[in-house]
Amino acid sequence: MTEGQPGEPGQAGQRPPARPGSDLAGLLALVARGDQNAFAAVYDRSAAQVFGLVRRVIRDPAQSEEVTQEVMLEVWRSASRFDPHRGSAMAWLLTLAHRRAVDRIRSGQAAAEREVRAAAATGPGYDMVAEEVETRLDAQRVRRCLESLTDLQRESLTLAFYGGYTYREVAGLLGVATGTVKTRMRDGLIRLRDCLGAGQ
Amino acid sequence: MRLRRETPHTLAGAYALDALSEPDRRRFKVHLAECDVCRLEAASLREAAARLAAPVAEAPPADLRERLLATAATTRQQPPAIADAAAGLGRRASRLVAPRMAVAIAGGCMLVALVLGGMFLSSQHRLSQALTRSREVAAVLNAPDAKILTAQAFTTGSATVVMSHRDRALVLTTAMLPALPAGHHYQVWLMGRDRPQSAGMLPDPHRGLTAPVVVTGVRPGDMVGVTVEPGNGTAAPTATPVLMLVLPA
Repeated sequence: MTEGQPGEPGQAGQRPPARPGSDLAGLLALVARGDQNAFAAVYDRSAAQVFGLVRRVIRDPAQSEEVTQEVMLEVWRSASRFDPHRGSAMAWLLTLAHRRAVDRIRSGQAAAEREVRAAAATGPGYDMVAEEVETRLDAQRVRRCLESLTDLQRESLTLAFYGGYTYREVAGLLGVATGTVKTRMRDGLIRLRDCLGAGQ
Repeated sequence: MRLRRETPHTLAGAYALDALSEPDRRRFKVHLAECDVCRLEAASLREAAARLAAPVAEAPPADLRERLLATAATTRQQPPAIADAAAGLGRRASRLVAPRMAVAIAGGCMLVALVLGGMFLSSQHRLSQALTRSREVAAVLNAPDAKILTAQAFTTGSATVVMSHRDRALVLTTAMLPALPAGHHYQVWLMGRDRPQSAGMLPDPHRGLTAPVVVTGVRPGDMVGVTVEPGNGTAAPTATPVLMLVLPA
């Protein structure tokens, strides 16, 4: 636990309200003004997803922790660059996280782990414990929607997103044409988007 | 790797998944800068991709929080950047409208670019008109059931429609329709019912693109048609449509 700032005594232990997405945007606006309590709240709400995603892509726990810290510091430094017109706060944060994770594994030092990643990247795990009920419900919804995709769509998405592979690499791994993978990635995401939108 | 001529937009999915090599990514970003609708789609796909983080959520090591907060306390923050779209309005104007803009333009920067793109905003009044319009556009684009459809015109050019059955509304933009003789304009119709119903005129194109038009009262199975009409439009179409688009039921 960190010390609360003066004047904000009641904030620390409270559960987040029902709509964390919109709320996160509000918190980021406070972070942009240097509010450290708001930053702690952003961390509490997003750290499990950020760390889980980074860990999934990078695998190595120590490096994952390092990258998570980099991502979160980037959030602190550049919260003012978050533009709510362009998308949700969680997507902004997770996009930062995913890009950094992918950059890290493509930088070469983790190249030796590629085989391991190929084996591990085929789908979301079912054993992860998310702190928040919210996230767990969302996880179920996402899994259900993933299951509604065709096998090739799902494999293309998960290899790219969880495995950090480029679409050309995914094509190689799956033994299909790059054009096919490209199309499946787009179709799959569109279907995922529509499925997730319809389920809300 | 062999380079083929292809629609760069098929890379939208790979882009949203960070599955492009750096050169591919740079090329795609150039494409995005030129295509407003593509930017919209790419953003929506990024949102979808980000949701894939939920199933792999995992609590980070407990001590990370404290270390991070301590580091943040001594780390300088970046000053806010002025939004691209607002930059053209000048500092003072953008400050005046910033809070309202934040509420109004939920759909993304592409909307601001599209709506404001062709206009010279000399007064607050015109700006507020533009914002009202962009609010409607944003509502449709952000509807949970929003779907993107495109159609080629029978002449040249194309139309892109984002529609929401829930909101009974659609947003229509066109690209590269043939230029018209003076005194003629493109008129939009809802067809497929007893008689075609005018849905207003397309604004004059800017660099070949028309700013988004919001059409409300759309019913499943309607068709959108565009005809060339004299003056400020007619009560019923007087010409064959240059473009027809069947909306999904």
